[in-house]
Amino acid sequence: MLSIRKLTRSFAQAEGSLRVLDQLDFDMGMGSSVALLGESGSGKSTLLHLIAGLDTPDSGDIEILGQNLTGLNDSALADMRRTQVSLVFQQFHLIPTLNVADNIQFQAALCGRLDAAFETRLVGRLGLQSQLKKYPHQLSRGQQQRVAIARSLLHKPPLVLADEPTGNLDEQSSLEVMSLFSELVKNAGSSLLMVTHSREMAAFMDRSVLLHNGRLSEIDDVAKV
Amino acid sequence: MLQKYSFYWVAKALLSHYWRHPWQTLFLLVGLSAGVGLWSSVQIINRHAQTSYSQANTLLGAQANYWIRSRAQQGIAQQTYIDLRRAGFRQVYPVVETEVSTGQGDPISIIATDLFALPVELFENYGNDSAPGSPSDWLAFIQPPYRSWVPQQLAKELDLKAGGALLLRDGRKLPLALIQSRPGQGRQILMDIGAVFALTNEPRFSYLAVGTISPAKLRRLESFLGDDMELVENQQHLDLAQLTQSLHTHLTAMSLLSFAVGLFIVFNAVRFSLWYRRETILNLRLMGVGVPVLSAAILLETLLWSVIGTALGLLLGIQLAQFLLPGLSASLHSLFNASLSGIIELEIDSVIKAWLITLFGLAWALAWPLYQQLKTDVLPASSTGVAIDSERRARRILTLGAAILVLVAAFLYPRIDNATNGFILLGLLLFAAAWTLPLILAGSLRLIALFLPAHSLFGRWLLSDGWSQMPALRTAIMALLLAMTANLGVGTLIDSFRGAFIGWLEIRQSADIYIRGTNIDLQQLLNSEDSSDWLADSHLRIGVTSRWRDRPTLIRGADTRAPDSLSFPLAQWLGDSSADALALWRTQPGSILANEQTHYLAGLMLGENVQLETDDGLRDYRVVGFFYDYGNPYFQFYLPFDEVAKRWKYAYSRGLALWLKPPSNDVDNPMQRAEDEIRKSGAQAGDWIRQAEIRQLSVKIFDRTFAITSAMNGLTLIVAGIALLASLLAILQERLPQFALWRALGVRYDEQLLVMACPLFIFVSVAWLLAIPLGALLSWILIHKLNIVSFGWSMPMRWQMAPAWELGMLVIAVVIFTLLLTVIQLRRRLPEALARLGTLT
Ligand SMILES: Nc1ncnc2c1ncn2[C@@H]1O[C@H](COP(=O)(O)OP(=O)(O)OP(=O)(O)O)[C@@H](O)[C@H]1O
Ligand SMILES: [Mg+2]
Repeated sequence: MLSIRKLTRSFAQAEGSLRVLDQLDFDMGMGSSVALLGESGSGKSTLLHLIAGLDTPDSGDIEILGQNLTGLNDSALADMRRTQVSLVFQQFHLIPTLNVADNIQFQAALCGRLDAAFETRLVGRLGLQSQLKKYPHQLSRGQQQRVAIARSLLHKPPLVLADEPTGNLDEQSSLEVMSLFSELVKNAGSSLLMVTHSREMAAFMDRSVLLHNGRLSEIDDVAKV
Repeated sequence: MLQKYSFYWVAKALLSHYWRHPWQTLFLLVGLSAGVGLWSSVQIINRHAQTSYSQANTLLGAQANYWIRSRAQQGIAQQTYIDLRRAGFRQVYPVVETEVSTGQGDPISIIATDLFALPVELFENYGNDSAPGSPSDWLAFIQPPYRSWVPQQLAKELDLKAGGALLLRDGRKLPLALIQSRPGQGRQILMDIGAVFALTNEPRFSYLAVGTISPAKLRRLESFLGDDMELVENQQHLDLAQLTQSLHTHLTAMSLLSFAVGLFIVFNAVRFSLWYRRETILNLRLMGVGVPVLSAAILLETLLWSVIGTALGLLLGIQLAQFLLPGLSASLHSLFNASLSGIIELEIDSVIKAWLITLFGLAWALAWPLYQQLKTDVLPASSTGVAIDSERRARRILTLGAAILVLVAAFLYPRIDNATNGFILLGLLLFAAAWTLPLILAGSLRLIALFLPAHSLFGRWLLSDGWSQMPALRTAIMALLLAMTANLGVGTLIDSFRGAFIGWLEIRQSADIYIRGTNIDLQQLLNSEDSSDWLADSHLRIGVTSRWRDRPTLIRGADTRAPDSLSFPLAQWLGDSSADALALWRTQPGSILANEQTHYLAGLMLGENVQLETDDGLRDYRVVGFFYDYGNPYFQFYLPFDEVAKRWKYAYSRGLALWLKPPSNDVDNPMQRAEDEIRKSGAQAGDWIRQAEIRQLSVKIFDRTFAITSAMNGLTLIVAGIALLASLLAILQERLPQFALWRALGVRYDEQLLVMACPLFIFVSVAWLLAIPLGALLSWILIHKLNIVSFGWSMPMRWQMAPAWELGMLVIAVVIFTLLLTVIQLRRRLPEALARLGTLT
């Protein structure tokens, strides 16, 4: 469902241009989950942004569900994002002026895929029943992250991109949130590409890849990294 | 030592912000320099004018301690002057002042003297080698074909080159021009007596001026003068200071408003610099930097900005003053006969004043909020919640403040008796309105919530976003409200005044030709053989100048049967109608008409008696009506012709107005014919003026008088526009991560624009809607209170919607422009914003 060919992206920097992604190839099947590992600054977030169509590559192709992103205009990319792709960030991920219920429904409402039954299930599973009327700033960081997860899954997007979704939480809540997350992703039938620094988190995924020197390589045993 | 070292780093950490955010620095500078610039330009102009009034001793005519004038205003014969000099009165020198019109119809004034007769202290100014210009210049000045010395500024306006000769409307030419001004020359063209005599063909002096003279000699001089001449003390600069005071107060008020609007920009810029430096300050405090060191750094920052702001503001102010001065000095000249020199000097106390007011503004807009920031908790609170709560609290406090301001204003309202009071009242009302604005904005959002479908998530999002934009937009919208209100209010004032003035001119100046020369035998002209062929009616007026209630006063004798006397526009009258009052004035001896100024400025009432000093003692006259007398700073009374002729021996001709018959078989061009007759009776070109020309001239003077007001008005609006732009751009900075999130969630640019723009348009529209009644209230107070207590002119208010619509369009244009700019910026900076979504910052 996701297929990347010869993807290159460089940034202009003080000491000349920095090639963050270099002729990168990557494939991901429907319903699979992949952990994306790599040193800080190796280009993990850059890759995610490119896949979501938030950034444009210098060269190369990205195909989601058979649709090539190259050549799509801005509103087509936005439509693709709201229907096919969900992003979960480390922080700053809720709309502070809307309450929890509205935040959860936001993306599903945008693409007209509200599903009350699934919503109740998500909210129940994430333990957010009593928080629905609250505003993001009244929640703990773990609760905020759960809201973000509910939002990213409610419209059952084919692909979920997560950038260190638990990087902001302590170990205990990280594990809790992560197991919920991977369970619910499977429930929604979505594929998941998740950036993480942690082996424990990577262990929740079907496979792991390492971003190094602009290329991806498969990791058989996460513990070795 | 350690303290010093850490202070350096703290200051560096705080100030580095401005280096990293050039846009905010720019807006801070623009706000400061625009505010200080607009304010100081008016300060400089006022200061300049006041110096000019008080420095009467550098003015050629006005420097004199005394003037010798003809009681009948017929000028002084050359022989009188020669006799005086022969009798040893070496302090006496001759002056001719005259008005001419250029080919374009611009009025210019000429002043002439005899350089060699000037007292020593003046000669140094005008004839001395050390003064600008070489001795050969002044030799050419006093010998035919003479020279005219034209001030630089005036030459520029008239497009007159050195060595050129200025062409007058009637075809005469002035002597060749030498572009240079002498101190105190103002906008007058300086010539030799001989040159002006050659020009006017009328060898009489306007008056003789008397330099420094001993009391004994003064008494001798007085007894030497004939009965038809008077020795008057020069009170001109006292009068000028008094008469122009209101005008300068008006200008000051406008400039203070601009300053306030400029400060709003600063306030905004600071808000965002605070937002950005919250972290810096927090980190510094966590690292153990104490509040005293931080406070000192903030103080340093404030001082730094105040110096930069003052310097830039004054630079701008001088430019602006130089730009505005010519118009103002021209109108001061035509209204008050006051001369301002064209050269602006910046005095040290203006600089200090500008610096102090900048410092005050910065203390309010920068230092105080920054200091507050310091005092808050070291640990960051959850920002949104705090923001919403503190916004609600701020709204309450502001509304309470507004209520207090309104109460003070209500208390003050019946006590308005001068311009300063009036402007304080206006300031209170304007700020009360601005402070109520947040409450009204909040109310309007609530109102809109009622109409949005409750289940629409998009609607809720839009509204909630509006709420969140409120704290950031509040000050900018307040500044906008102030500027729009002032714009509409002052615009309506000018418009009403223009309408009233032109309507009044039409009635007052109904005659076809006005003759004002003094060397014409007017009686002969009227009695000429077949004058009935072309002349429908005429009005010969006489007058005397006098003082009443300590102001220069003109007492006129009018032909009560003349067409313009029959339709004299009265503002107030005794009896049922103004026609009744005019009939009373015509028929009942002892009745008098007074101008409105006597009523509003000196408290004269209808039916009351005025005491005037006649040749045979004080006489009482009963006021039967007050007439409009726009643009006149003096008091004026109208009596029937015969009464003035009988009571004042030296009443002199104030000109003759002629109404012409329509073209007929006998006379196919009455105007031509009339002008021929006038010429025949000894009139020189320039001694008479046609109705169309005099109207054009009057309107020109009017427009010039208000040019500075309009300019200030427009500039203030521009500054408010910048304030709006600045805060919108700053909001963008603050909200970039938010916008990035929206993008990530698949929100399209058009949807995003809608969400950003809707609350903005709602706020701006509310401000606009509010500005309309407020502007009307402002102009009502300006017209019915301030104008009256300052100038004594009353007029009906003329409200029009067109300017309000124009203003609305303008503001919408600014909003659209900034929104577009925001989207462009967002596209450019999206990656940077996305990066911030991923990491802990
Ligand atoms: N907008 C940008 N302009 C210039 N350089 C950028 C930009 N965005 C990223 N970079 C550079 O590209 C490189 C990769 O950045 P990226 O954020 O993708 O790293 P990352 O792998 O996500 O790191 P981390 O694990 O710390 O989040 C970094 O060296 C960064 O400095
Ligand atoms: Mg990253």
